[in-house]
Parts: sequence; structure tokens; C-alpha cells
Amino acid sequence: MRYFLRRWMQAVFLLIGVSILTFLFSAIAPGNYFDEMRLNPQISPETVAALRAQYQLDRPLPVRYARWVNSLLHGEMGFSFANNSPVAPLLWARARNTLLLTLTATLIAWALALPLGIWSAETRGRLPDRALSGATAALLVIPELVLALGLLILAVRSGWFPTGGMFSVGFEILSPMQKFRDVAWHMELPVLALVLSALPILVRHVRAAVAEVLDAPFLRAAASHGIPQRTLHYKYALRAAANPLISLFGFSLGVLLSGSLLVEVVMSWPGLGPLLLEAILARDLYVVIGGVLCSTIFLVAGNFFADVLMYWADPRIRTGAAAK
Amino acid sequence: MIQLSGWKRWLLAIVVLHGIVACAGFFAPYDPTEQDREHPYLPPMRIHLVDTQGHFHFRPFFYAEQLRVGSFDQFEEHSQQAIPLRFFVTGARYDLLGLLPFRTHLFGAEASRVYLLGSDAYGRDQLSRILYGGQISLLAGMLGAGLTLLIGVLIGATAGYLGGWRDGLLMRVAELFMALPWLYLLFALRAFLPLSVSPVQAFFLIILVIGAVGWARPARLVRGVVLSARERDFVRAARGFGATDSYLLRRHILPETSSVILTQAAILVPQFVLAEMTLSFLGLGVPEPVPSWGSLLASLQQYSVLVSYWWMYLPALAIVPFFLGYLGLASALQQDAGTEKIVRTAGGSRW
Amino acid sequence: MDRLLIVEKIEKRYGRAHVLGAKQEVTALLDVSFSIGRGSTLALVGESGSGKSTLALCIACLERPTSGKIVFNRNEITVLDEKQLREVRPQIQLVFQDPARSLNPRFSALELVSEPLLVQGRLDKREREARARALLGQVGIPQEKALQRAEEFSGGQRQRLAIARALSLEPKLLILDEALSALDCSVQAQIANLLMELQGRLGLTYLFITHDFAMAGHLAHEIAVMEQGRVVEIGAADEVLGTPNQEVTRRLIAAMPRLTAEAHAPRAV
Repeated sequence: MRYFLRRWMQAVFLLIGVSILTFLFSAIAPGNYFDEMRLNPQISPETVAALRAQYQLDRPLPVRYARWVNSLLHGEMGFSFANNSPVAPLLWARARNTLLLTLTATLIAWALALPLGIWSAETRGRLPDRALSGATAALLVIPELVLALGLLILAVRSGWFPTGGMFSVGFEILSPMQKFRDVAWHMELPVLALVLSALPILVRHVRAAVAEVLDAPFLRAAASHGIPQRTLHYKYALRAAANPLISLFGFSLGVLLSGSLLVEVVMSWPGLGPLLLEAILARDLYVVIGGVLCSTIFLVAGNFFADVLMYWADPRIRTGAAAK
Repeated sequence: MIQLSGWKRWLLAIVVLHGIVACAGFFAPYDPTEQDREHPYLPPMRIHLVDTQGHFHFRPFFYAEQLRVGSFDQFEEHSQQAIPLRFFVTGARYDLLGLLPFRTHLFGAEASRVYLLGSDAYGRDQLSRILYGGQISLLAGMLGAGLTLLIGVLIGATAGYLGGWRDGLLMRVAELFMALPWLYLLFALRAFLPLSVSPVQAFFLIILVIGAVGWARPARLVRGVVLSARERDFVRAARGFGATDSYLLRRHILPETSSVILTQAAILVPQFVLAEMTLSFLGLGVPEPVPSWGSLLASLQQYSVLVSYWWMYLPALAIVPFFLGYLGLASALQQDAGTEKIVRTAGGSRW
Repeated sequence: MDRLLIVEKIEKRYGRAHVLGAKQEVTALLDVSFSIGRGSTLALVGESGSGKSTLALCIACLERPTSGKIVFNRNEITVLDEKQLREVRPQIQLVFQDPARSLNPRFSALELVSEPLLVQGRLDKREREARARALLGQVGIPQEKALQRAEEFSGGQRQRLAIARALSLEPKLLILDEALSALDCSVQAQIANLLMELQGRLGLTYLFITHDFAMAGHLAHEIAVMEQGRVVEIGAADEVLGTPNQEVTRRLIAAMPRLTAEAHAPRAV
């Protein structure tokens, strides 16, 4: 339990650190929403000054930070000037969509990477392994942006996939089942882009981790005891290779979150990505801070989940032996 | 004892690729900003060796293209007008490597412009724009990686060498940077900097942003190497001669980090080229009319372009050979560092 | 006899901060006292983990003892600050166990041997090189190998290099921390003879750290035996070897190969 408590404390400190960091960045930034407004001849300087005062942007940084924390505690996370509403509800709607995309992609990527990686490790040096290594290497040299745009062009030209967005026209009148299928259909392309971008890294790591374990004496001994290969590889080897793979989980989530940002913009998925981009272009300060913090929360949550998995998979942590 | 051939081959490939981009003026037939309003969105031209009468020509040629009657974006080949492709032609003036004024281009044609990879909305040659755009993107990536490594080495060496609370503090900050998904961090940093700036300002702004994002990982790696190098016997021995800290760092400790730095450079450069592409693609980078790989792709955000002009996607593929080269170099370097270590320790104990 | 080095009641504890705040301490040295006469050799014998190397680092001013006093050449060095220590260090040189690790593999033999002079800013470039070549000759490294890199030498030659560079600053005290242990027997004997010859010629003082009683008996005038951070027995070499009065000493003596022990009778003080 002490283990979790420590991890929890670390996560909280991390989030506080990130929020302070983004606030510091925003403070040294030369422009803000109202500077853009000032360029607009239809708005008088007095109005701008009044608005600045209303949102307390003329106050010193610690005061602004304290007010922001206060509004966070009230579930608002500051105020979006461009949308004229508190940030939290804006973020929440978008974050849900990003989460849907990222989690689905994470699940699928791992579900594919584990068997493929194990298969690759089993057939080391032989045809399946070489073919897989070639394929992952080929995928590895295609960056996400190139992949996402390529898939989109493919979709547009073939008509197999919807070309963006999350819902079809007339989504509101569909039955729940139809709604589900409609969203799933719209998800196919962005999820495919994300899975393909994460898969080569995951497969390579799984292969490396499992290959190392397959060489270990204890596994050879177990094999000589006549335990069937399938059980051996999927139960024993995977269990022994779990540690590096679980830490890879947090990493993969980070990669997919970043990737999702881009894929969402390219495929106009209404997630955090487009929101953040609009906020940047409009200099909508608190939305940017909120979006960054939100992504950090996801990542921290993912890492926490990995820690729970690790605790479950590694008896050394449970007994506290690994902490020393 | 140490085999260099593996990574040297990759390095050669990278140097050749960069060389082509660096000499864009020579390989590109036209100036990247030169417009041709007669030929907007012209698809890549077909280069022929056999004409419509079935005669074979030794010199490759292409047909002049003109708008199909009654269409505004469909072109057709003008089969009476075969234009031979000429090599080492004299054309638009450019500065080779930014220094030497030159007029010779690898290829071109006399009667009409040749568009090997098609043209964009203003009839600008895509091939020329890709080659010139690479200069911006690659330079931004390399300078960004240089900046990141500089920051990383400074912070990592400081933390590792001094140790104690300074080490703790610096590494906590590094963890903060690593806790953020990197694209979000990139966005956040970009968000707080001015948006409407000149291309040159934008270029340096991007290098600054990219450089500030990635320092945490190299810093941690360098710190690790410095931390263990500090306790090496040969460092202790040098301290025993009365060596100062700066001498130890310069002569003994920092050289130990060289393989880590090289490998990190091979990993970071393509990543940062991609970062530049991403920012410019989203309109947060180097603005028009200066081409960069990212801004060349920006037009794909319009649905009509996506549907009708697939060749606007070609700039995206330009980065792939570079990715391949750098990836190969990075893994060859990593392998090399691994075997070198083994060779060294084995050699040390065997004698 | 004039004592070059006096070690008085030094202690060394390493604190290791635990995650939850509780501090764990490891005591490496406990109440260690001894002294070495000018121009003589003291062998410090003990099993691995008995604190010998920590002691060597403390005497070479590379670690600070937690408490106690070290007097070198009539100066108390335990009270000096980092800058003053840099002045003292050249007079006390340490030769490490594994020359593969104590010589930077990127350096050539010549660079290695002239490095201490460079660091001290003594002599100009040409003089440094001449001095380094002379030192290489002294320890028996052929001149034509002067430009080879450290990793191209054999273990014995590397240890000769390490000794040559330690001598380049003309130290008064040479600490040999298991300097012969990693070498094979014939090479050990060669280096041991070299050390004795150098001592005769240059009047050096040695602190010879080893776990090998045979070699200690061969080289040393006095022997101190360490166990778990303490000096448990100290005396003239033949006395300790002849009439050991500690369990560890007897165990270590029993562990040495018979033939060697008889072949090298202890030197008289």
C-alpha cells in the first residue's frame, strides 16, 4: 500500500509541477488574446483594458495562478475568452473523444503487438521473424503525419471510409445501436493510423523482451520438463518479460496521445487536438493550459495503471524487495 | 577491434541525401517561388521515349500540356508538341550552398516548363519546392537537435558531476518535461510565442521551441554516463594528480558521453524534422511563400485538394528516405556502442 | 625512524538516504591508526571488503574521512580544503588494481605518462615528452610503443604505465591498491622487483595493499592486518608472519601457497 501511496504522491507533485511550468511559459509569452483584440479597430482600448481587468490578466503571476487553482477546484479550470465559457466543460467534451480514440488504439495495438512479438521471438532468424522485422522497419520509417495523410487520401479516393469527423449527418435521429455503429465506422481510419504508428515500436519491444526470456535457463529447464510450448511462451515467458513491457505501456500511451493530437487535426476528429490548435491560433491562454494539463493527467493515469499492473505482475514489488 | 563499417555506410547515405537537398538549386529545375499561372495543379508529367507515331527517341521528351476545353483543372497532352528534356541547362540564377552564384541546372527544357512531380495552386514546380523545402526542414531539425543536445549535455553534465540537491532538482524538472506528451509540449511552447512573424523569425522561433522540448532525455542519459564516469578509476587517478574539475570534465568525462550524444543526435534529427513539418503543416511554422516540407502539405487540409490533386501529397514522402537513413544510423551506432563495450571489457579482463 | 605518514583514529561512514527519510549508514573504517616510516614499506593485508580501498582513497585525499586525523609529511591533511588538497595530492600517488580501468583507453602511453605533468602545469611540451619517455624507459616500456593507446598494451605493461605516471610527479608516498593482484605470477614478480628497485633508487615510501600474505611478506617491512574496517594486528613483517595472534591473520597465512611462502622469506627491517 505504501507503494501506491508513494506513486500517488509523485503523480500529484508531477501535475502541480506541470501546471506551474505551463503558467510560467504563459507568463513569459509576449502576446495574449487581448493583444490580438487590441489590433481590432472596432474595439476601443478602454474596452480591452476593462476586459483584461475583468479576467484579472493585469494581476501578477502568483495571483493568477492562485485564482486558476481556485477555479480548478470549482471545476472550471479558468475561462475561455474565445468561447466565452469556463474551460472545463469545453475540455471535457473533447477529452472524452480523444480518450475514446487513444484507448481503443492502445488496446488494439497491444492486442496485435503481443502475439506478433511473441511469434517473432519464437521464430527468431527464420521467415516469419524476418518478414515481421521488415514490416515493422518499413512502418517505422513512415512518420505519423505521412501515414495519416496517406490514409486519408486513400479513404477519399476509395470511398471505403468516411473522410473525417465523428458522426454522420443526421446522427441525432439514429437508434443507440446505429449511433454506436456510426461512431465506430468513423473511428476506423484514425484508429488505424494510430495503431499503425505505434505497432512497430511495440512489436519490436515485445520481441526483444520475450527473446531475452526465451534464452533464460529457467525457461529451458521448464521446456525440458515437458510443459507445452504454448503455455510456456504465453504464460511463463510473457510473465517473466512483463516488467519492461509494462513500463512500455506508459510510453506507448504517451506516443499515442501525441499521435492522436495530429491524427485528430488531420481527420477532423473533434478531440483535444483541434481544440488546442484553435486555442493556440486565438491565443486562448487557459484552454491551452487546460489541454496540456489534461493530456498530462491521461499520461499520469496511464502510468499509474501500469504501476498497478506491475504490482500485480511482480511479486518483488509486493514484498517491497524491489523498492530497495 | 571496433568495426566502423556498419554505421559509416549509413552515414554516407545520409550525407548523400543531405547533399542533394543542400544543392537544391542544381537539382531543382526552377526557382521554388516562380509561378506559372497557366498551369495550376498540373499533374506530374509523363516522360516519354516513344512518340505517338511509335518512333523511339534516345532523348527523353514530354508533351506540352494545356487545359482541356471547358475545364478549369483538367489538362491534356499536346501531342504535336514534343519537348525534349535537356540536361545541364542554363536557367534561373541560384547560389550553390548559399555561396557560389550558378545558373546550371541538372535538367530542364527550353520551350516549356517541365513538372516531374506536378505543380501547385500557383503553378509552382513541386519538385523544386520539395528540394528547397527540405533545406528549411532539415536545417531546422539539425539546429533544433544541436540546441537540444547542447542544453541536454549542459544540464546532464552539471547534474551528474555536481550530484546532491542540484542533481535532484534538475532531474525532477527533466521528469516534468518527460511526463508531458511531447507534441502537447511542443504546442504549448509554440502557443505562448508570437504567431504572425516573418519567415526568418518563424524559422528561429521553431528551432527554439523544438530545441527546448527534447532536452530531458539526452540530459538524463548524459547524466548517467557522467555519474558513472566520475567514479571511474582513471578519473580518480587524474584527480590524484591534482587535476581541476574543468580539466576532468573536458579531458576524461565528456569524451565518455560522445557515443550517447551521437546516437541521440541520430535519433533526434529526424524527430525534429518531423516536428518542424508538423508545426508548419498546422500553420504554426514557417509561413508562405517560403517552402518547407510541412507547409507544402498544408494545402491538403482543404478537402478539394485532397480529393482532386493527389500529387500534393508527394512532399510527405520526401522525409521517408531521411527517416530510413537516420534510423539505420541510430541502430548501427547503438549496436556499435554495445559491441565496443563488450570488446573493451573482454579485452580488459582477458589480458 | 622519521614517520612520513601518520594515520590517527580515522573513521569513514557512508550515509545512504532511504526513500522514506530514514538514513542507513555503512561503516567502512573504524578507529584505524598506524604510521609508515620514510623509505619503508607497510603492507596492509585483509580480505576483500575489509576497508582497505576506502583507506587508500582517504589517504590519497580522494575521499574525506568522517573523523580522525591524517598527518602527511608533518602536515595535517584532513583539515585542508579542496584547493589546498589539490596541492597535496601529487605527493601521494595511488596505483589502482585494474590498470585497464585506471588508464583512459583513449590516451596514448606518452599522453598517459605526461598527463600528470600537464595537469600540474610543470615543464613545457617538449620537456614533458622527454620526461615521459625517460619514465617509460625506467619502467621498461620500449620507446617504439610510446604512441600506442592504453588498450593495446598487455596487463603487465599497463600496470608499468600506471606506475610510471604515478612516479612522474615524484611523489613521496606511493599507494599500491592491489596493484599486482590482477596480474599473473611471473608478471607479478617482475613488477614487484621493479618496485623494490625503484624504492632503492628513489627512496620511495610504499603503502602496499593486498590480500596476498606471500607478496606482503616479500615486499614489506611492516604488516598491518585489517578486518571489517579495523586494524586488528600490526608489527614487523617477520613477527606477524611468524607468530600471528589473530584468527584472520592465521587464516590468511594458511591460505597462501606453501612453496611461495618458503621461497620468499620476509625481509628484515
